[in-house]
Amino acid sequence: MSEEYPIQSVDMNDPRYPRLLRLIQNPPRKLYYRGDIALASKAAIAVVGARKATDYGKWAAANLAKTLVEYGLVVVSGMAYGIDSEAHRGALAAGGKTVAVLGCGVDVCYPTRNFRLMKEILEQGLVLSEFEPGTTPRDFTFPLRNRIISGLCVATAVVEAGLHSGSLITAERAAEQGRSVYAVPGNINRAMSFGCNKLIRDGALPIVVFDDIAKDLKLVRADAVEKRAETLGVAERAIYAALCRRGEMTVDELCLETGMPPQDINGVVTVLEMKGVVETAGGRIFASD
Amino acid sequence: MAGTHIIKSAGLSGVSGFGVAVEVSITNGLPGFVIVGLPDNSVRESRERVRAAIKNIGLEFPMRRILVNLAPADTKKEGPIYDLPIAIGLLAASEQIDPVSEKAMFVGELSLDGELRPVTGMLPMALSARADGIDSLFVPKACALEASIAEGIKVYPAGHICDIIDHLRGERPIEPAPPYDLAACEPDRLDFSEVKGQPSVKRAIEVAVSGAHNILLTGVAGGGKSMMARRIPSVLPPMSMEEMIESTAIHSAAGLTNKSAPLLTRRPFRSPHHTVSTSGMAGGGKTPKPGEISLAHNGVLFLDEFPEFQRNVLESLRQPLEDGSITITRAAWTCTFPSSFMLVCAMNPCKCGWYGHPNGKCGCSEEAVKNYARRISGPILDRIDIFADVPSLAYGDLASAGKSESSAKIRERVTAARARQLDRQGTPNARMSGDRLAAHCVLSREGAELMRAAYDKFALSARAYGRILKVARTIADLAGSRGIETEHLAEAIRYRNSGMLET
Repeated sequence: MSEEYPIQSVDMNDPRYPRLLRLIQNPPRKLYYRGDIALASKAAIAVVGARKATDYGKWAAANLAKTLVEYGLVVVSGMAYGIDSEAHRGALAAGGKTVAVLGCGVDVCYPTRNFRLMKEILEQGLVLSEFEPGTTPRDFTFPLRNRIISGLCVATAVVEAGLHSGSLITAERAAEQGRSVYAVPGNINRAMSFGCNKLIRDGALPIVVFDDIAKDLKLVRADAVEKRAETLGVAERAIYAALCRRGEMTVDELCLETGMPPQDINGVVTVLEMKGVVETAGGRIFASD
Repeated sequence: MAGTHIIKSAGLSGVSGFGVAVEVSITNGLPGFVIVGLPDNSVRESRERVRAAIKNIGLEFPMRRILVNLAPADTKKEGPIYDLPIAIGLLAASEQIDPVSEKAMFVGELSLDGELRPVTGMLPMALSARADGIDSLFVPKACALEASIAEGIKVYPAGHICDIIDHLRGERPIEPAPPYDLAACEPDRLDFSEVKGQPSVKRAIEVAVSGAHNILLTGVAGGGKSMMARRIPSVLPPMSMEEMIESTAIHSAAGLTNKSAPLLTRRPFRSPHHTVSTSGMAGGGKTPKPGEISLAHNGVLFLDEFPEFQRNVLESLRQPLEDGSITITRAAWTCTFPSSFMLVCAMNPCKCGWYGHPNGKCGCSEEAVKNYARRISGPILDRIDIFADVPSLAYGDLASAGKSESSAKIRERVTAARARQLDRQGTPNARMSGDRLAAHCVLSREGAELMRAAYDKFALSARAYGRILKVARTIADLAGSRGIETEHLAEAIRYRNSGMLET
């Protein structure tokens, strides 16, 4: 397997280094990875939760991941049993992209029984870790890993968590990093719901329907994008598509993405604004709902 | 023998010169030396310098009653510039030298041993002398270069009063200063090629500079707002001779001329600190002195950390931004200074400077952010044509090795666009009058529809409407287009105040 997906590394001086991860307090200097590193810089949502998940939790994780993929988002998780695995599987099943962040070397499969899942992730996504290849998982490596999971993402969603779940650490890191935290509410008579419900009481955003996260990010479903794009001209479509992929962008980012000069971008954005397709604020341009 | 003699000299009022006649009368009576004609202290002290200088060069200081009158007698005179004309007048009145031609003018400060020291405001005085029909001008050596900018007048540079006496006696004529040599101006040391990334802001600046539009750059700390603003002089269009002389005269009156290259050949760029006072900004003082807005005449006034300026200082910009000049009235005087400049402002979006940055460092509440923006009053925002957001730089932009476009290239396009405007209406687009606006900013049917939609959708004001048209005209000029096309208008609409700053 390692011949097929060679181990590579990327350091902070590299433009391929994940965009959002660079902004956290203590970003890892070097990341080891296998697969497509560009995924780590795309708009992503972390879907995490307990290993000992209930059927409800597994169902929620898989469907949440599927919904996120439909909006063109990347699903990031930790490849542990339970919620993490379901999140990866849900994303893969929907034909989406997913990133697994490991608490061990990228050549080590932990847990070993997820061997097949890891292979699928390598095929369609990315596996990365800050630990040297060959590092075996230890107690302290997982909390460290959690800051990378939340650091890669614009938001972290906790699907199911007990009282002392590691997912709560991920949520805490996300909040410290200034990213949004979502939680899937659960029955209050179940131990596995306690962590999530407590997060909501502490101010996390509850996921009432699976589209909530994407709605908050002002994203549009990939199929709706296509429908709307049909009414637009060539340049308008290029800009609109880029905005739908990334959620929000500056004019400069649009220049890089589309190769058009800023004066043309500005002109087209005005027209798109008139058509009600995009909105602007504080120098950023958003695709409207 | 008693005698009276009149020597021509000059004075400075605001940024223009005026002729002064120095009348020296020597009569019999108790020895004394009196200067009348509203002299200030530094003029009154001339007596001692003149007395010492005449004695030290071995000539006779008349021990009789000396009266000096500075006409017109109702205008205040200040500065040590009358040392030389008083000394020459004294020597002529006491017949130690022959009477001096009416068409000669003298200015200069004397040292105690007769050396001539430079004076401020040489150029405006030389210009007024030329207008008054003076044909030869005797000035301290250090001012000669500046005086020679006034073409058509013979400038005699002198290092010592003896040089002038020898010249007047016909013993050792002074070589007149050669006409001012417009030496090739050296290029700016700062260049836009040093600014990485930020293509959209550079474009906004290019548009602003082309039409002399006022621009506000808003963005988080470290985006390069000041860095880009400081490079604006390197892309400004060249000055006409008339503009150079106008600006140089103002700088001269403020005593800011560079003695080795007195003529301003590049447009001035002034960036006063935000602690500047109202009179520092607008002009004023005991005697009228031009402020920063006048020193920026024909050039750029850059206000970094815009909301940090005192409110009354910013409000003082209102009339000059509209009229291109400022009239200052004090109890003792009223003075009008030219102040036609392009305003460039830079500000952070909030007090801590991080609002909107993806790192989420900003700790300001929404209310605090609004309050920060509200420090700038509506009328001032209403006079800004282009609002540009400066995004924070991604690491990749900084690390990229490629150089961006050089200032010389941008300046070429700016100069061409500005030339088109001057050909068409004689002013940059930003200063187009209302009737010109209607004549030169005609929209196509499609354009008019877009404008109408924008007017409704963004709830634009009438003033904003006019501003967008002017900016669209500039964009069309940059593109070399006769009419304003829809894409020009669409780009101009993007530069409006997008609502971060409420008016």
